[in-house]
Amino acid sequence: MTALVVGLGHADRGDDGVGVVVARRVAELDLPDVVVVDHHDPTALIDLWAGHAPVVVVDAVRSGAPPGRVHRLVVGTNEPALPAASWEASGRGSTHGFGLAAAVALARALHRLPERLVVIGVEAASYRHGEPLSAAVAEAVPEAVELVREEVRNGVPG
Amino acid sequence: MTHKLTDGGRVLKVGTLARVEGEGAMRIAFEGGDVSDVQLRIYEPPRFYEAFLRGRAHTEPPDITARICGICPVAYQTSACWAVEDACGVAVTEQIRLMRRLLYCGEWIESHALHVFLLHAPDFLGYDGAIEMAADHADVVELGLRLKKAGNALMELVGGRAVHPVNVRVGGFYRFPAAAELGAFRPILAQALDDALAAVAVVAGFDFPDFEQPHEYLSLRAEEGYPIETGSVVTSAGRSFPVGEFAERIEEVHVPHSNALHSRLVATGAPYVVGPLARYTLNSDRLSAPARDAARAAGLGETCRNPFRSIVVRAVELVEACHEALRIVDLWSEGWADRSDPAVPVPPRAGEGYGASEAPRGTLFHRYVLDADGIIRDAQIVPPTSQNQASIEADLRAMATQWAALDDHALQHRCEHAVRNYDPCISCATHFLDLTVERS
Repeated sequence: MTALVVGLGHADRGDDGVGVVVARRVAELDLPDVVVVDHHDPTALIDLWAGHAPVVVVDAVRSGAPPGRVHRLVVGTNEPALPAASWEASGRGSTHGFGLAAAVALARALHRLPERLVVIGVEAASYRHGEPLSAAVAEAVPEAVELVREEVRNGVPG
Repeated sequence: MTHKLTDGGRVLKVGTLARVEGEGAMRIAFEGGDVSDVQLRIYEPPRFYEAFLRGRAHTEPPDITARICGICPVAYQTSACWAVEDACGVAVTEQIRLMRRLLYCGEWIESHALHVFLLHAPDFLGYDGAIEMAADHADVVELGLRLKKAGNALMELVGGRAVHPVNVRVGGFYRFPAAAELGAFRPILAQALDDALAAVAVVAGFDFPDFEQPHEYLSLRAEEGYPIETGSVVTSAGRSFPVGEFAERIEEVHVPHSNALHSRLVATGAPYVVGPLARYTLNSDRLSAPARDAARAAGLGETCRNPFRSIVVRAVELVEACHEALRIVDLWSEGWADRSDPAVPVPPRAGEGYGASEAPRGTLFHRYVLDADGIIRDAQIVPPTSQNQASIEADLRAMATQWAALDDHALQHRCEHAVRNYDPCISCATHFLDLTVERS
């Protein structure tokens, strides 16, 4: 099975574009048996990741950590469900939004979550229109790319 | 969440409406049992993109404006193309118009399926969201995901890519999909049409609060068919004007509590509504027979003024989009467009041009001023959500008075439901994982 790397985010919205930037760097590595895409809508993930293993999703996160901190979360079927608090604000409490954590929770409810799903999150600072990545987040890109590379190299399903 | 005020009123603030804190927010203040103020801050207009467009070539707006929204890139591309072509005095062929319509059907299917099933249906079925709903109604969620996937696939087939279609250019397309490719896609659309009809039956059974909107409705109306990719402007008060007059007929006013501009009709000074209810009310006579039959079976009359029933209208529009996509695919498969050019030349000239199309959320206007070299000197984008924002506030003001006795949780849910009726495009904001890290 081919691995899938998804960069989530909006490239024109400051640090929200970090997932897309990391995914593009990974694509440039031309890794064998790895499909790399960028996407804007997390609900598309449920169809995107069907038939791929392992699956790595890169996104901007907000946890209160210093900007640029790179998080690694394993959220596949063998892992405990994400706490509701992680998707309430970005998913169900929203009039429109459907965030990554909500998409993961929905996929789990529909039994369409990959066995191994790794989220590489980069702590974001700014989401302003038209701004490039903030300095701290731009500095974190190589580390995030390296983590993605390790995941697709070592990530054996199960 | 609730703060007792010294005057004995109460203030409800909902700060997490959108995915970016501080970007989407709703504030309702009560004095006694009455609503004293409603302020909604849900949408930031695309001012950055308007500024970014100035100084760029006239060929660039479809690519640049597609980046504004990951849910409705085709709407931005289509309105941009019409406006630039209008400025350059170029008309496209009927084949190009129909291919735009086909691509646009894909966007309607994807966007409406997302909103109807993942965002709006849980309100009616009594769930906090799609995740909870999926546990009991997996079939309903899967129906929505299947429809959404079909819309996505149609956008990829015609547009080259679903998120930011790359096949679109000023003057038409880089290439038309081959007749055989379109023919091979027919079974997916046939299934989508069945699914859309099932969707209407599902949502028709929901309970709808009694509420009638007084606002004037505005949508495009085309020479034939239901308005999707083109048309001229009509309103429920009998006004009609060409798209080229929108800048004189509609004014955008700054409101202090929001970065957004509120739109109103110059003629009345009052807000108006764009979107599915307006489209349906002004064009239900233009629906295809299957969509019209589905609407009747779902209890819709010729007009619809209850914003809660917008979910039914969206489902009917899903039927219309699937049926229309099938019709266009069949035309193409029969060789109707053989050897027609996928684009017409659009040489630049100095001038001003206007374009509009019916985004899933309502009419989307673009205006560009070009110099003789085709460099963009001015750009104006009037998206549906900014046009609707004043009416959403007015709805909330009217409804919240009836809901004053509810506790905050129930009130918040009702208000969010009322906002969701409009499918506001706060997805144009950003998304990120709202992450909580627990350490022991």
